[in-house]
Amino acid sequence: MNGTEDPTNDEMLVETDVSDGLSASANSVSRDAETVISSENINVWYGDDHALTDITMDIPENSVTAMIGPSGCGKSTFLRCINRMNDLIDVARVEGRLTLRGKNVYDDDVDPVALRRRVGMVFQKPNPFPKSIYENVVYGLKIQGIDADYDEVVEESLKRAALWDEVKDRLHESGLDLSGGQQQRLCIARAIATDPEVLLMDEPASALDPVATSQIEDLVEELAEDYTVVIVTHNMQQAARISDKTAVFLTGGELVEFDDTQKIFENPDSQRVEDYITGKFG
Amino acid sequence: MATDTDSGYIDGFGQVSRTTGTIFRYLLLAATMFGIVTLAVLLVYVANDAIRPLTADLGWHLTFFLTLVVPTAVVGGYLARRNVPALKLGGMVVGMLAVSLLFSGGVAIVFVDIIPPLTGLSYVVGLLVPAALVVVLTKYEQQIPFTLRVAATGAAFVLSLVGVPGYFHSIPEIVRQLPVVPADWMILTLVLGGVAAVVVGQYVARIREDTTAGLAAGASALLLTGLAAVVGPALGVDANAAAVVTSVAFVPTVAYAGGAAVTRERERIGLLLAAVVIGGSLVGAAAVDALGFAGPQSWVDWQFLTSAHSGSAENAGLYPAIGGSILLMATVAALSFPLGVGAAVYLEEYAPDNAFTRFIDVNISNLAGVPSVVYGLLGLGVFVTYLGQPTGTVIIGGATLALLILPIVIISSREAIRSVPSDMRQASYGMGATRWQTVKNVVLPEAFPGILTGTILALGRAIGETAPLIMIGAPNVLFTLPTELTSKVSAMPLQVYAWSSLFASEDFYTKAVPAGVVVLLAVLLAMNSIAIVLRNKFESGN
Repeated sequence: MNGTEDPTNDEMLVETDVSDGLSASANSVSRDAETVISSENINVWYGDDHALTDITMDIPENSVTAMIGPSGCGKSTFLRCINRMNDLIDVARVEGRLTLRGKNVYDDDVDPVALRRRVGMVFQKPNPFPKSIYENVVYGLKIQGIDADYDEVVEESLKRAALWDEVKDRLHESGLDLSGGQQQRLCIARAIATDPEVLLMDEPASALDPVATSQIEDLVEELAEDYTVVIVTHNMQQAARISDKTAVFLTGGELVEFDDTQKIFENPDSQRVEDYITGKFG
Repeated sequence: MATDTDSGYIDGFGQVSRTTGTIFRYLLLAATMFGIVTLAVLLVYVANDAIRPLTADLGWHLTFFLTLVVPTAVVGGYLARRNVPALKLGGMVVGMLAVSLLFSGGVAIVFVDIIPPLTGLSYVVGLLVPAALVVVLTKYEQQIPFTLRVAATGAAFVLSLVGVPGYFHSIPEIVRQLPVVPADWMILTLVLGGVAAVVVGQYVARIREDTTAGLAAGASALLLTGLAAVVGPALGVDANAAAVVTSVAFVPTVAYAGGAAVTRERERIGLLLAAVVIGGSLVGAAAVDALGFAGPQSWVDWQFLTSAHSGSAENAGLYPAIGGSILLMATVAALSFPLGVGAAVYLEEYAPDNAFTRFIDVNISNLAGVPSVVYGLLGLGVFVTYLGQPTGTVIIGGATLALLILPIVIISSREAIRSVPSDMRQASYGMGATRWQTVKNVVLPEAFPGILTGTILALGRAIGETAPLIMIGAPNVLFTLPTELTSKVSAMPLQVYAWSSLFASEDFYTKAVPAGVVVLLAVLLAMNSIAIVLRNKFESGN
C-alpha cells in the first residue's frame, strides 16, 4: 500500500463517515502528490507549558526527514503528534491541523488506533515485548487481525531490518535476550511487519553504541526507499548523513528552519540555526 | 572529626567517637528482633505442645538423626560451599514435594469427600464443551462480530452447565445419567491426572522444544497416575487417594526435577540433596519400624486430621474445619480475584486522573485498614438481614471474607500493574493496539505473577480470620463436611477458637488447641512459600 496513492486508504483511518475522508484525500492529491504529512499551525500544551508553537511543515513521501534540536525543544512531541501518541498523556492538548494524505488526523471521526496502524513507530529505548522474537514481529499482525503467512512476514521483516541472519536459529527465544542494537532492529522489524505508510523514529540510536548506531543508520536509508521516515535525533552528524530534509527545532518549541538537509547544514537562512549547527550553543 | 572551626584545618585522622552510633545500631537491632523472637518462642512452645518430640524413644531420634539429618547436613554443607544454585534447586524440589503433598491432601478432601468424583467429572465435561467452543471462536475472531461471539459463548456456558429445566438437560445431568459409570479412581485419574498430564506435557514440550516429547511426557504422567491407583490398594493405600496424591504431588515434582536435570547441567547435582532427604526419610521410617522404636505421641496425627470434634480432647479432630476452610478459600478466591484484578486494571489503565478516582483511591486504602469484625457486621447486615440468606453458609462466609481482602487484592494488583514498564505499553499502543489489546497482551501477562503473589498473600490473611465468621453466625463446631455452597461452614481458626473458649479445659488447651494452631500455620506457611517462590521467579525474570 505504501508508495502508491490509494484513495481507499482513508477508509481504514475513519470509522464512520467515509465520504468526508475520500473527498479530503482527493483534494490532497490535486494539491501536492508528494506530501504525505502536512502540519498547519500545530500547538501543543502540557498543562500550562506551551511545548510546541505554530509548527507548519510538509513531509514528502519516500524520504527521510530528520528533526534536530537541543533537548526539550519539542521534536519528540511533534513526532508524537503525527500518530497521536500524545493522546495517551492526560495533560497534553493539541491544536491545529495535521493531515496524513490530506485527512486531518485530529478530526473527530479519526480513531487514533486506526491512525497508529498506518503510522509505525520506533522508540528511543529499545522496547521489545517480553515474548519470543517471532511473537514480537507478528504482534502487529495479530492485533490488527491481518491474515498473512506469519512465517513469511517474520522472515521478510527481519531481513529488511538486517537482523535475520543473527536470529534465524533462535526465533523462539525471548526478544529481551538480544543485545541493545539487536533489540532496536527487532523493534524496527516489528514496526515494518504491518507495512505502515509512515515510520516514525524517536532517537532510535541514542541508546546504542557506535557500531549498532551505524547499522541502524544504514537501515534507515534503505527503508526510505519504501517508507516515509521521520526521525528525531540530537546527533547532527547523523541527521546530515541519512536525511533528505531537516527540520531544526530550537528552545521554546518553535520550528526555526525546515529545508533540504544540504542547505540546512551548508547555508542555513537563520543565524540561530547556523549557531546551533556550528556548535555555538545547544 | 577534630577540626579547627576557625581555620577549617583538620588536625588529625584518629578515631572519631563511635559509641553513640554503636549503641543506636544495637538498639535498632533489638527493636527488629523483639517481635520476631517473641513470636518464634511462642511458636516453638506451641509446636512442642502439639507434636511432642520428646515423647519419642531416644532410638527413634537417633535413627532419624543418622539416616536423615547427618546425610542431609553433609550433602547440604558440601553444596553450600561448592554450588549454591544447586543447593537452591535441591531445596526447591524438596519444598515443592512437601507443599504439593499438603496441597494434594486438600485436593483429596475436595474431590473425594466434598464433590463426589462423578459430579466433578460431569461438571468438567460440562465446562469442556463450551471451552472448546471458545477456542474455536477465538480462531475465527476476525470474521465474527464481538457481540455475537460473547452472546454465543455465554449461551453455550449457560446451556451446558444449567440447561433449560424441563426441556433441555444440562451436560452434567446427562453425564450423571450415563448407564456405565466407571469407578471413582478412574474418574479421578482421568480428571486430575488429565490436568497434571496437560501441564507436564506443555512444560516438557517447552523446555525440550519438541511436541513429541511433550506428548510422551503427558502420556506417561497419565499412565503413572493410573498405575498408582491400581497398585495403591495392594500396598494398603486407598485407590482414590493414590490417584490424587500421584497426580497432584508426585507427577509435578518428578517433572520439575527431571526438567531441571535435563536443562540445568551445572545445578543437576542439587537433586542429590532431594534424593538424600526423601531417601533418608523413607529409610529412617523403615528402620524405626523394624527396630520397634516408638515415634512421638503427637497430637497432630492422622486421627486429628481426619475426624470431627469430640467431647474428649484426645479424640477431637479438625477434619470438617479443614474442609470448610478449603471451600471458603475457593469461594473467596473465585469472588475476590476477578473483582480485585478488574478494579485494579480499571484504576491503572483506564481511569482518568480526576477527583472521583482520587476519592476511590484514598478509600480503597482506608478499606484495607478497616477491622475485620466490621466486615463481619457488613456481611451479616447485607447478606443475612437484607438479602435474607441463612446464616453461616459457605457462600456467605466466602463473600464476607472476599469483601475483607478485596482492598488488599486491588492494592497489590495495582502495584503489579504499575510495575509493568510504560515503554511496553507505548510500544503496544504505537503498533495500533487498542487499550484492551494492550492490557490483555502486554500488561496482564507481565503483571500476572505479581498479581498472583498479592492474591495468595491476601488469601493467607482470609484463611486466618475468625471474627467475620463469628459475626455471620458460622457454627463453631461442625461434625460433617460442608458439601454445598449453601451448607453451614466452620473453619480452622473458628474451631481452634471454639476449643479454647467453649470447651475450655486443661485437656483442650494443651492438646487440641496447639494441634489446630500447628495445622493452620502449616497451611499458611505453605501458601506464603508459594507466593514467595512466585515473587522470586518474577523478580529474577526481569
